[in-house]
Amino acid sequence: MNLTKKINAVYKKFGVKITAAEDDRSVILNGECDDWQNIVKIGKMFADKKSGKHIVNDIRLKGYEEKPPFLPAVNDKSLDGTAWDVVVIGGGISGCSVARELSKYKLKILLVEKHSDVARGASGANDGMVHAGIDLKHKCKKLYYVTRGNAMYADVCRDLGVEFERKGQYVVFSSRFIKFCGRSYLMRAKKHNIPNVSVISKKEICKAEPTVKDYAVGALKIASTGAVSPYKLTIAYAENAVQNGAAVSLNTAVLSMEHTDCEILKIFTNRGVISAECIINCAGVFADKVAQMAGDRYFSIHPRKGVDLLMDSKGKGLPDNAISLSPTFKTIKQNKNTKGGGIVKTVDGNILLGPNAREIPDREDVTTESRDVNEVFNKQLDCCPSMQRSNIIAYFAGVRAPTYEEDFIIERSAKVKNLIHVAGIQSPGLTAAPAFSVDVAEMAAELLKSRGKNVELNADFNPKRVAPVDIKSLTENELNELIKSNPDYGKMICRCEQVSLGEIKQAINNPLGVATIDGVKRRVRAGMGRCQGGFCMPNILKTIADELNADISQVQKADYGSNVVVGEIKRI
Amino acid sequence: MERYDIIIIGGGPAGLAAAIKAGKDSKVLLIEREQRLGGILKQCIHDGFGVVRFGEKLSGPEYADRFIKELSETNVQTALFSFVTDIKHTDMFYITYVCEQGVKQVTCDKLILATGCRERTRNGIFIHGDRCAGVYTAGAAQNLVNMLGVMPGRKVVILGSGDIGLIMARRLTLEGAEVVGVYEAKPTPSGLTRNIHQCLHDFNIPLYLSTTVTRVFGSNRLEKAEISQVDEKMRPISGTERLIDCDTLVLAVGLIPENELAGDLSVVLDAKTKGAAVDQNCQTLCDGIYACGNALHVNDLADYVSESGETAGEHASKPPHKRKLVNIAAKGKFLYVVPQMLDVNDDVSNVIMYFRASEDLSNQRLTVTANGREVFSKRYLKLLPPEMERIVVDFSQAGDLSNITVALEDK
Repeated sequence: MNLTKKINAVYKKFGVKITAAEDDRSVILNGECDDWQNIVKIGKMFADKKSGKHIVNDIRLKGYEEKPPFLPAVNDKSLDGTAWDVVVIGGGISGCSVARELSKYKLKILLVEKHSDVARGASGANDGMVHAGIDLKHKCKKLYYVTRGNAMYADVCRDLGVEFERKGQYVVFSSRFIKFCGRSYLMRAKKHNIPNVSVISKKEICKAEPTVKDYAVGALKIASTGAVSPYKLTIAYAENAVQNGAAVSLNTAVLSMEHTDCEILKIFTNRGVISAECIINCAGVFADKVAQMAGDRYFSIHPRKGVDLLMDSKGKGLPDNAISLSPTFKTIKQNKNTKGGGIVKTVDGNILLGPNAREIPDREDVTTESRDVNEVFNKQLDCCPSMQRSNIIAYFAGVRAPTYEEDFIIERSAKVKNLIHVAGIQSPGLTAAPAFSVDVAEMAAELLKSRGKNVELNADFNPKRVAPVDIKSLTENELNELIKSNPDYGKMICRCEQVSLGEIKQAINNPLGVATIDGVKRRVRAGMGRCQGGFCMPNILKTIADELNADISQVQKADYGSNVVVGEIKRI
Repeated sequence: MERYDIIIIGGGPAGLAAAIKAGKDSKVLLIEREQRLGGILKQCIHDGFGVVRFGEKLSGPEYADRFIKELSETNVQTALFSFVTDIKHTDMFYITYVCEQGVKQVTCDKLILATGCRERTRNGIFIHGDRCAGVYTAGAAQNLVNMLGVMPGRKVVILGSGDIGLIMARRLTLEGAEVVGVYEAKPTPSGLTRNIHQCLHDFNIPLYLSTTVTRVFGSNRLEKAEISQVDEKMRPISGTERLIDCDTLVLAVGLIPENELAGDLSVVLDAKTKGAAVDQNCQTLCDGIYACGNALHVNDLADYVSESGETAGEHASKPPHKRKLVNIAAKGKFLYVVPQMLDVNDDVSNVIMYFRASEDLSNQRLTVTANGREVFSKRYLKLLPPEMERIVVDFSQAGDLSNITVALEDK
């Protein structure tokens, strides 16, 4: 790669002087710039598929001091001195699916997650679309895993007791020219073995989705697209891993590592020093930081925030399908890194709009801004003009964890022999996880074998996770029987989402031991409806305290320190 | 399947009053989703309830208790901790509800919706920033303090000067919290004048008008709120932001009639009240379905909530007749007028009407006309949106009732 040429090009385009150095795995950039967007653009300029080299972008943002990462407010020795066959760092969809696939082997597995629950990063804040992979143009790891993962979804979700729907998706053509160009998707689908992709007529799309009738001239129908609750699937993977003998330690952050040139010796956490034969880096937006701790930094993660809007399921004028506008030259030029989001119908029947894409320097910035809400809503209004802004009931942000190469890194470290990286997992990471987790588990087994460890299959492995009771899915007779055996299932606590006390108690006593307001909300939807917990939160708070036999003021919304209340009122 | 003449959904002040009236001559079932009757009154331990009806100041639970006692002397059946999951309307109403005993099905000829209202949330008013603990609606905060006996926080910012926000400002102060201030995006307070005096002035709690919360900060618990001034269209003015230390933000930013069941039954709603459009007997456009209390429109006093419950309950127990509905047109600066229609085939001699002005007005004349002929008029020195007004109009002598108008004019 001619680095000098690119350095000059950067100077010409951005007026910034940078340096670039190269080793066998990476191009390392250094310098200073006063615009984060330009820093990201410069990093991208150096990304080069042909060379296969990763970008380490150390260009500093002038005047910006990196925020210290979130760390749990817990310090104990509960893990101190423990030795594991495998330690998985990070409890997102990657870490949890890998831990579950690893539990097929008879191994001592520990997953550490710094938050108080799994799926607290991007895995908990995305639209849950199970992609077909139609937007991926070139052969890459993403494409390989997305097509395999998509095909595995129905089986995986059945085993894990997670709702999954394969209702397909429509990419709507807004002009005849775009419709003509859209035929190229068919060729791509054939080339990449994506099943059931077809171009449908104006009449067909308007029948399937009347909200687009004013502008649609046709659509691309991708029948294999599905929908899943991303956090429910992540939780299910983690629970099944625990059922099969893996340990999950929440509120546990990796702080540093002791390592030689080619091996990690010790991992320092806020809960003691641990060691492992094999370490799997599933740290999401912090994957490059974890690599750095191991002396193996050869890629950079550049955080990319996306905002989704949740619409009232009873709102009028909303579509009934996953739809998006086919990109035009204009929209592609505006933003190359996302398809520009779309409209998704979740498995819970809600409509989600989004996400947008914004490059940000802070890896944990999940704050929302009105400009994001406006951008997402206005953009999707083009796709579905009948939507009403007043039907937005909630919005949330997630931070994607892309590398500058915009592909997954799923490999054994070339330098550190007991380390595997699962990094750069951004969209379609959720779709790809069932597939790559199988490969990563095999990779880990090989790694352990190469270190002289005898790796056996876990004879007791049970792939099935019993799904928690959802009274809305029961017939009247089933519900009657259930209430007879436990009247708590007849006591309705959350009016908006119709969640009973029995379900809430079950959610509090989950296999991961997450007893928080948000934990209950994500597991059974209590507090997710139009009143956003205004009515049921105090009841749930009391129930958690009762179930834990704890003081109400000890109950947390999410992480340690997020106490819902601060103490008792005055006593007479 | 047990059959009733009337089923009432909701056991708050509206539902209780409706049940007592309806229970006199009809077979009535009152379905309440909570363990005890009384609705939101259970947590309103402050006084001021019943001034209009009983001529004395009662607390919320005391006010509710009077109705609960009266109800116990009727033959009305109650289903507590019972949640309606489905209503079908064919020849009758088929209602499914879930309770501790299982799934129950009942039928009735007439249905009264007394489902109350809910609070607008943080997302509803687009407060951005962190997702920390410490941001509660005023009703949730009231529940924490008065029902669970716990403190939501120690240093409190209150957004919205609606009555429940004012009440909570006083309540939290009494319990030892520091209420930094009450912030209101509108140029005028949203709550009753008496509450501004009794809850804020008497406790030296500052009220900031044309000011709102634009952002919240806090990694775990709320740490700071960003306050901005707003322009006349209630848009934040950039450059006016300032940060306030606090651990709690209480939102009293408005109430919305709860009409999920009404929506399922295709009851026509009024865009202004966000409740059902009704005639003078609280009957909606669907024959046999009544709406009352805060599910109909957000009242200022519980006394009026009970009143509309009684209207609905009393009329529902009468035999049905063929209605002839005439629209009531509202002209002038009204926020809303209830009822929206008049059933001219029914008694029109004692029509109770409620209205609110859309802005602060002085020296107004309200007239009710039927086909151009004045039926009622009243002068108001002052009209404020937070204060609901009530009039009783006799249409029986008006003659032609084909064209009814309520008008508000400068005088």
